[in-house]
Amino acid sequence: MTSAMHRPQDGTLLELRDVRTHFSTARGIVRAVDGVSFTLERGKALGIVGESGSGKTILARSIMGLLPKRGTIRQGEVLYAGDDLAKLDLKGMRKFWGQEMSMIFQDPMTSLNPLMKIGNQIGEPLRVHLGMDKENARATALKLLQDVKIPEPEKRLDQYPHELSGGMRQRAMIAIALACGPTLLFADEPTTALDVTVQAQILDLIQEQRRDRNMSVILVTHDLGVVAGHTDEIAVMYAGTLAEKATTAELFANMKHPYTEALLRSIPKLDQPSHTRLMAIGGRPPDLITPPTGCRFAPRCPYATEKCRTEIPVLESISAEHSFACWNPVGSSHWQSKQDELASNAGLASAGGQA
Amino acid sequence: MRYFAQRFLQLIVVFLIVTFVTMVAIQAASKDPARDLAGPLNSTEARVEEIRKHYHLDRAYPIRYAYWLKNLVTLDLGNSPTLGASVRTLVGQRAPITLLLGLYSIGLALILSLPIAVYAAYRRDGPFDRFVSGATFAAVSLPNIILAVLLGYFFATKWRIFPYAASKIWPWDDFGEHVRNVALPTITLAVGLIAIFVRLLRADLVNTLQSDFIVMARAKGLSPARILWRHALRSSLFSLMTSVALQFGGILGGAVVAEQIFALPGMGLLLFQAVQQKDLLVVQACAALFALAVVIINFIVDMLYAVVDPRIRHARALG
Ligand SMILES: Nc1ncnc2c1ncn2[C@@H]1O[C@H](COP(=O)(O)OP(=O)(O)O)[C@@H](O)[C@H]1O
Ligand code: SF4
Ligand SMILES: [Mg+2]
Repeated sequence: MTSAMHRPQDGTLLELRDVRTHFSTARGIVRAVDGVSFTLERGKALGIVGESGSGKTILARSIMGLLPKRGTIRQGEVLYAGDDLAKLDLKGMRKFWGQEMSMIFQDPMTSLNPLMKIGNQIGEPLRVHLGMDKENARATALKLLQDVKIPEPEKRLDQYPHELSGGMRQRAMIAIALACGPTLLFADEPTTALDVTVQAQILDLIQEQRRDRNMSVILVTHDLGVVAGHTDEIAVMYAGTLAEKATTAELFANMKHPYTEALLRSIPKLDQPSHTRLMAIGGRPPDLITPPTGCRFAPRCPYATEKCRTEIPVLESISAEHSFACWNPVGSSHWQSKQDELASNAGLASAGGQA
Repeated sequence: MRYFAQRFLQLIVVFLIVTFVTMVAIQAASKDPARDLAGPLNSTEARVEEIRKHYHLDRAYPIRYAYWLKNLVTLDLGNSPTLGASVRTLVGQRAPITLLLGLYSIGLALILSLPIAVYAAYRRDGPFDRFVSGATFAAVSLPNIILAVLLGYFFATKWRIFPYAASKIWPWDDFGEHVRNVALPTITLAVGLIAIFVRLLRADLVNTLQSDFIVMARAKGLSPARILWRHALRSSLFSLMTSVALQFGGILGGAVVAEQIFALPGMGLLLFQAVQQKDLLVVQACAALFALAVVIINFIVDMLYAVVDPRIRHARALG
């Protein structure tokens, strides 16, 4: 573990090599994360996007090592600043938690300790990890509450979670996560439990703190719209695997995977009438115990061919900043012909409807 | 503060109802309370009538009760005709040992069950947890009386660690001797309590350990000990506290039995004699004291809920 003093300012912070996390259950082996590889640079923000159940949370927790003990089967390497975290036991991981890496959880109501004052919850890692005394920890906690722009920070120190609004609770949780100056910050659906009006504020706050503190951020969300303005890179996850990974600008300009395309179409657009607003992806995410052979998206993919159902597409790079796993990517000839076919069918259908 | 006042009022009302009902029950069971109070032997009719007047036994129950209550407040509870002493003296001599026994057994049970339950929940389904599960099951199925006999046989008769026939020695007189004398009855009562407390607390802890805020505490890099004792335990105390409150009456009842077995001169023997001799005033005073003890413990537990959980404090403050 590198100390904060000698922390390099750039270069690769995190590298995943074929990470797999399976759960042994009564029904069988759940392949929640099934062979994920990527790298993350220092100071960058990576968004992990996918439908609910695609393994985003488990992937984030696999990196952090924050998994249930029983029934968990792990494989692959998680290289963090040179250390393979996957090899560490719980005691070894604990040295990273709260100091090198920390996590903002989805629901601040249930993730904060309901019986502990906010000030003490922020002060706790300061006292435990940095050995601060009570007064020092309290002063630092106040400073952190100011950093996360909570209104009336002084008053919040002695309040309990139930006395704060949802947005304030999430700010308090961010303050806890930031307390010991982590190098890598995870945010798992940090705004899903919040009011729409405060969602953007919280995302902006995380961005701002990342810049100020030169942290890397891994932002997990089911909403492509959330990652669009708040990340440098996006990894699209489907059924425990990476479907596509690219820099944010490249992904939106030039997306290749049909699943990414479908996800994009499911983002609510405010300028469209409500019935066309949300084009849900047809079908359901696959069973992770017996995932489809070949491409896991094939059963739901409008462009699927025989090859898709038998051969697993591997993640391939088309440039330094873009890779995807698909046999018939967006823009390919098969994709194009299928598009034309779909368009003419839609035309017929609507013509028929009008007659 | 309002919560406190409300609970305090509730306590008084409960106490009044319980003592009234016991008075009615005790006196209604007697053919003629005045005759019983006059004493079993050679009491003249005149004496009986005098007693009847003195304790207002010719009046309706509510009025009798009002007089009794007045006497209770002034601690002038009359005399026991059979034991030849004032009720106040009799109860005052005997009650503390029984109450101490109740408190000791709860204290001992809490001290032991906390770490046992915490470790069992922490290593859920591990060998220790399984052992605890079996042992507590055995303990709740073991009747007190058999346990008392076993304890007496080994610790008193065979190994002579503790006296079999206990004597009443106040802790302020000779603490060591006091402990030696109350040890066996306390253990007798505590074993069942430990089993119940461990089971309740372990179950609640296992639930709490699955909460989001425990994952958060782990992500903060806290040690297992800190997570268990600082974060999980506090959220898991409610069933345990409720159980202490609910069990206290039963524990006092158990204490009476344990005293009998180990011949500890507490309230048990007194109550036993009083019932046999139809010494109504003594029975009533004992019942009132038990009721008071139970009500006070319940009050304390109600206060503790609010101490432990700020949400209760705040909700009650508003409502
Ligand atoms: N402890 C576990 N045991 C078995 N299956 C699990 C466990 N945790 C998660 N899963 C399964 O792993 C899959 C991925 O879960 P998750 O990472 O939470 O999805 P996401 O965060 O993308 O919504 C889900 O199908 C979920 O049911
Ligand atoms: S590989 Fe085939 S099934 Fe999978 S996404 Fe690409 S086109 Fe669709
Ligand atoms: Mg999730």
